Amino acid sequence: MADKAEAILAALGGADNIVEIEPCITRLRCELKDGSLANEAALKAAGAMGVLKAGEVVQVVVGPQADTIASDIEDLL
Amino acid sequence: MTSVLSPVSGTVLPLSEVPDPVFAQAMVGPGVALKPVGGSADVIAPIAGVIVTLHPHAFVIAGESGTAVLVHLGIDTVQRQGEGFALHVAKGDTVTAGQSVVTWDPTEIEAVGFSSVCPVIVLEATEDQLADLVVGSDVTAGDPLFTHQS
Repeated sequence: MADKAEAILAALGGADNIVEIEPCITRLRCELKDGSLANEAALKAAGAMGVLKAGEVVQVVVGPQADTIASDIEDLL
Repeated sequence: MTSVLSPVSGTVLPLSEVPDPVFAQAMVGPGVALKPVGGSADVIAPIAGVIVTLHPHAFVIAGESGTAVLVHLGIDTVQRQGEGFALHVAKGDTVTAGQSVVTWDPTEIEAVGFSSVCPVIVLEATEDQLADLVVGSDVTAGDPLFTHQS
């Protein structure tokens, strides 16, 4: 699971690009400094079932492990 | 086979009508949605099991047979940060089907600009595992919504 967190963080543009990550049951709601740095293909390769981008907010659908992944990502920040 | 009960009273809609692409495209699993009736109401556990995830606005119950059901109260309601949701259970609690989990008011949610539509999703399941769906009907909390064969 920690590997998955690392891969997702990298695909979001790295720790420096994160403003906030909030888990919501099945997805990570990520507020980024630069939304264009989020790499959809890399997020899917990291296990995301879907990716929704709206400007600087990127929602990464990861399924019910969202809470665990979000806390693993917090540990990496 | 697990019978999944309606967590709220309202009209059963297909997931495709949920104003959120994650639910509408069944990215996290198949199910149905409910357009709840207005006014303060208890939300009940759709299956017996353990509360494995609990937020004020959403919860997941994992049943013994492996069925895990997500109930999400309204869309984008995480932004309410719990306001307007009164929880009656704690994470890790074992609940019976029909037990009250949380009290909320769909009218109040809509008044502050959110959709009150409630997706009821079977996590990590496939569409063909669901049967006896009552899409299009009006149901009362506790009525059967569908069955899941894992």
